[in-house]
Amino acid sequence: MPLSRVLLLVFFVSWGLAGCSGQDAAGPKSPSGGGAAGAKKKYRIAVIPKGTTHEFWKSVHAGADNAAKELGNVEIIWKGSHLEDDRDGQISVVQDFTTQRVDGICLAPLDSQALGPFVKEAKQEQIPTVIFDSALDDESSIVSYVATDNYNGGVLAARQLSETLDGKGGVILLRYNPGSESTNQREEGFLATLKAEFPGITVLTSDEYAGTTENSALDKAQQLLIKFRGKVDGIFAVCEPNSTGLLKALELEGLAGKVKFVGFDPSPHLVESLRQKKLHGIVLQDPVKMGYQAVMTLMQHIRGETVEKRISTGEYVATPLNMDEPAMKKLLNPQQFGE
Amino acid sequence: MSNAFPPIETESLSRGRLNLLGSALGPFLTLGIVILFFAVTDQIRENGGTFLSQRNFRTISVQTATVAVAALGMTVVIIAGGIDLSSGTTVALSATVLAWGLKHNWPWAIAVAAALATGGLAGFLNGALISLLRVVPFIVTLGTMTIYLGVAKMIAEETTIRPDQATQVPHWLQELLSTRNEALWLGLPLGVWLALGLALALAAVLRYSVFGRYVYALGSNESTARLCGINVPANKIALYTLAGLFVGVAGMYQFSRLSSGNPTSGLGLELRIIAAVVIGGGSLSGGRGTVLGTLTGAAIMAVIASGCTQLGLNNPVQDVILGVIIIAAVTLDQVRQRRMAG
Repeated sequence: MPLSRVLLLVFFVSWGLAGCSGQDAAGPKSPSGGGAAGAKKKYRIAVIPKGTTHEFWKSVHAGADNAAKELGNVEIIWKGSHLEDDRDGQISVVQDFTTQRVDGICLAPLDSQALGPFVKEAKQEQIPTVIFDSALDDESSIVSYVATDNYNGGVLAARQLSETLDGKGGVILLRYNPGSESTNQREEGFLATLKAEFPGITVLTSDEYAGTTENSALDKAQQLLIKFRGKVDGIFAVCEPNSTGLLKALELEGLAGKVKFVGFDPSPHLVESLRQKKLHGIVLQDPVKMGYQAVMTLMQHIRGETVEKRISTGEYVATPLNMDEPAMKKLLNPQQFGE
Repeated sequence: MSNAFPPIETESLSRGRLNLLGSALGPFLTLGIVILFFAVTDQIRENGGTFLSQRNFRTISVQTATVAVAALGMTVVIIAGGIDLSSGTTVALSATVLAWGLKHNWPWAIAVAAALATGGLAGFLNGALISLLRVVPFIVTLGTMTIYLGVAKMIAEETTIRPDQATQVPHWLQELLSTRNEALWLGLPLGVWLALGLALALAAVLRYSVFGRYVYALGSNESTARLCGINVPANKIALYTLAGLFVGVAGMYQFSRLSSGNPTSGLGLELRIIAAVVIGGGSLSGGRGTVLGTLTGAAIMAVIASGCTQLGLNNPVQDVILGVIIIAAVTLDQVRQRRMAG
């Protein structure tokens, strides 16, 4: 028994030594590696989404990948935080890429403040960052901000919903989650437009949060439909999980198609429901373009070109009438990574 | 020590004490292997060679500090045969209290004290409920987990509290876990030194104080401990309170890192905290666990996360690797323990 302990110790010490000698070897290797790559440098670009499982991010991934293929000398490293909505995890990912000295970072920050210092740190290490999808409060350290104009998305939703309601009736705003900047912008755009342009519309409730999952959205939506039964004529759900949960709730309550419903972001199921007129509009962004533009803008900056500080990737509304037009078809069923 | 309490000198108790280093050796070995694995693959990779840099280890130490400090508290709880599922949401609750205090222009000393007290109080409540209601810790803390989440949401009014960085957050708190050169003391940020200091203090308490011996005794065999005249409820409340204080410190760390208080940012954290203790050789059936082991366990998880990012491995792969290592580390440790017992 003592012998095995001694053996373990020897084993461990030798690992330790191996580790140390490895560290020494690290010094000379990196510069020579850099020199060899000088002939045709391959740029390593880290792309960090807010999450990895939503379809939206798979389309962003596809767009980033398109850009890399087009440029030829870019390698995309796609890495989200370990858990969805894990701010601390996303900070760690940014730190790790900074340590590893990638050539640039494209980041969709989970928090408009918390990521700021770490983007600044990357800049101090001469690593440029393009922010996409959601804003960062402190824009002093970033190259550009590539995103949907979410406020305008909310404006479009308000107009579409009011149009289907002929400008009168009671509507519900189903919010997403507290502290989420992009959805907050949509919510504000929606409410401001209703107030300014459509006096015939009454907002029944605008402070209900559906939560981050389809399941939580379903629960909340069902409670609201029961509470406002007979009074509600239209609903706006501000993102895809929200919309899917709300659709299910409408079906369960037998209100699908009767209550006018505008969603945000597509999924195959939502598109099918749009065709069946259970949905009366889906506000669309262009995630493929967002991923593409983020990488392209970053590479332009690395090449020394000047870039716009703010790049909008466009907002659109799909309706049962226009959904078969080619441009809409492409946005309703965006390319996904791996296709 | 053994003279003080001869009757409760059970086999597992003496083993835990005699082989303090021995029981931490298994996790240490795992850590060595994990580091070596990533170091070698990183060297082979094109543009590699950053994994073994001092800077990277500094970054890893910062990334693991929050989980590690909370896991120190969890070590005490798990040695005593308990579990605390509420530790994750308590971290967020403490961070939220700290953010709320600073936002309302409290002096930072008071805000920090309030955050630590929040952790302590949450732990006290856990201990009191477990002792008074005689419900198993798993259930009690499953309940308090959502209670503390709810309380944090009430304080934050269901949003994120953001004190003004320039005027309301003291400089040292911003830099607590910063890897910027100006923030380093002897190569590490203040927060990492504080965590190491707390670890040392806790190790001393567990090893040399009467309370520390009671904790092991409770976890080894609670009824024997009671028969020996140990005041079980009082000690349980004390140890859960102590664990809560550590969680409060972790809350301060989380606030420093996120520069805001978010009620939901602790969800799921408890599993990583528990995993750190278990990978570090802590036994969920009580009586076993060491401070050194826990720190090693936390480091193993952080190294895997960092290594996977640096190698460009995606999250699914990282999930699988972490799971495999948890099972492998614990299995190896048990085999070793059984061999030593037999």
